[in-house]
Amino acid sequence: MLEHPDVRIVRRETPDAADQRHQLYVQWLNARASDPDILQLDVIWTPEFAAAGWILPLDGFGPPVEEYFPATIAANRWDGKLYALPWFVDVGMLYWRTDVFRDAPATLEELSRAAARARDSAGIRYGMVWQGARYEGLVTVFLEYLGAFGGRIMDDDGRIVVDSEAAVRALRFMVDEIYETQNVPRSTLTWQEEQTRFAFQNGQAAFMRNWPYAYPLMQDSAESRVASRFAVAPMPGADGGEPTAALGGSQLAINTNSENPEAAYAVIEYLTRPEQMLERARVVGQYPTRPALYGRPELARALSVAPDQARRIIERAVPRPVTPIYTQLSELLQIRLHRALTDQQPPRAALEAAAEEMRALLDKVGLAPKEPNGAGR
Amino acid sequence: MRGDKRFVGAESREARLAWAFVLPALGTILLIALFPLAWTVWESLHVHDLRMPWRGQPFVWLANYAEVLTDGRFWGAMLHTAIFTVGSVTLELVLGLVLALALNRAYRGRGLVRAAVLVPWAIPTVVAALLWRFMFDAQAGIANAVLMDIGIMDRPFVWFIHSAGAWVPIILADVWKMTPFVALLLLAGLQNIDTSLYEAARIDGAGPWRQFLHVTLPLLKPAILVALIFRTLDAFRVFDLVFVLTGGGPGTSTEPIALYTFNALLQNLRFGYGSALGVVVFVVTFALAMLYIRALGVELTQAPE
Repeated sequence: MLEHPDVRIVRRETPDAADQRHQLYVQWLNARASDPDILQLDVIWTPEFAAAGWILPLDGFGPPVEEYFPATIAANRWDGKLYALPWFVDVGMLYWRTDVFRDAPATLEELSRAAARARDSAGIRYGMVWQGARYEGLVTVFLEYLGAFGGRIMDDDGRIVVDSEAAVRALRFMVDEIYETQNVPRSTLTWQEEQTRFAFQNGQAAFMRNWPYAYPLMQDSAESRVASRFAVAPMPGADGGEPTAALGGSQLAINTNSENPEAAYAVIEYLTRPEQMLERARVVGQYPTRPALYGRPELARALSVAPDQARRIIERAVPRPVTPIYTQLSELLQIRLHRALTDQQPPRAALEAAAEEMRALLDKVGLAPKEPNGAGR
Repeated sequence: MRGDKRFVGAESREARLAWAFVLPALGTILLIALFPLAWTVWESLHVHDLRMPWRGQPFVWLANYAEVLTDGRFWGAMLHTAIFTVGSVTLELVLGLVLALALNRAYRGRGLVRAAVLVPWAIPTVVAALLWRFMFDAQAGIANAVLMDIGIMDRPFVWFIHSAGAWVPIILADVWKMTPFVALLLLAGLQNIDTSLYEAARIDGAGPWRQFLHVTLPLLKPAILVALIFRTLDAFRVFDLVFVLTGGGPGTSTEPIALYTFNALLQNLRFGYGSALGVVVFVVTFALAMLYIRALGVELTQAPE
């Protein structure tokens, strides 16, 4: 780097699969390795690593937090301190067919009706596809339906509220889309991102919920039958809530055992500069975490989604529960959601069981909310 | 004789030599079997969550085991393991016996056929599991296509989201892969049966069915038991097949104990609890093996009368 001629950067290859990368990090950090100094974290890992004391608080370096999307900063705070800087952002969005519909649906009800019409009259096989296999992706989809109905998984005081009326309505809506309206195919309950993309790009689905990565891939007419015949919009809202997007993306943090935290921060500061983010968008299509960049013409040339539209969706983004044991809580929720969606358990019973198990886990590891009566109903 | 010093010396020298010969093997067993086992037991008496360092590593006596015994997911996993073991091993034994009887007959090209039936067994489990996942895919799979063609179903069935239906591809895949192995073991047993016994039975007027019941089956018992031991213990540890085919889903409807243990140990990095699960699995497998070995011991001493 020209500004820091004494800093030399060595890259460390890590597995692409998030689970495996996470496992590797945990092994390194448990062994108190001082290397690597800088870690690229998934958005849901920051609180875990912070609570474990594996990464350094960054507040002392004076990061310009007000220049980032608030949700991306909130996801990286633990115990009042900032532990990582958002590097690029990922959000769930609704893909819709411009040759079948005139506008994107404004509500989930509207989406459901439009999907049914598309199946009847346009002869499209599936109304809507999303990621319904039992894995982390299912929680992000649920989070969006949940937000649409005004529910949350965890409230601001750290109480589990996933068994609220709004949550039951959200899950019931998802179940009904499979078994009542049959807009969502049962196969979707075994699908991850790629299977939904294949269905949509083969023209078999009227709507799809997916991440931004799918956009440029489906614009390739050699592979996709819907090239230039689709657009994106925020996932719609419903009664009692508002349009919601699940927040994903990558953060940069500093290893607690780093021998050179100042140099590490200098590198992070460099990598999160506006010009660097524009460069990332241009080269690998990753979305900047700084809202100010969405007005820049370079970004419009770099991204396939129109920047103002992308920005509108990112502003709807909500983080998943910010807690050190998110992954374990998510696993409990995934199992119950999948049971409800595969018709093994009614939505209310599934969510009540999930909430009970999640509260018991928080309690056991000493993370239950402080106030008396943590039931949060 | 005991007073004979020379003899005692030779005996003890021989004993020492024997120990010297056995020692490397014993040392290896100690190092690769007993030491890890002891360590696992030690881990299982602690809370040790790699992802929650703030909990420390306190010694908690049998708290992890108490949690295992009250854990619904553990009992579910044990039940699923039992369902899988009984279902797949029964089918493999019956089909394996039929296959062995067919292979035991003399005909041209027998060697080739014997080699050919072993092909599924030689395919890596993960590859076999992927094949079966494709075959049971709801839209593109051959299973639904065939069932709809012959009119059993009128629309595609999504096997992997049905808590009972998801077992069909899992058990079929295991049966497809492991039946040849069982057949081979039984074939070896069949070839040990003296053909003069069948002649004697024929002279006594026994038809093929009675010959099978009163000559083949009793004399095949040791081979059947060996096949049972191998397959039961193997089936009890089933992991890769389920991991690839269903990942334990829908929900946790097809999650066997090995997958749950893997999940606790390597996904959630709960070393204490995961070790307790591992110890429980070890105890159950060990008990099963002892049971079989006793039964087999009795059979082996009785068989050649």
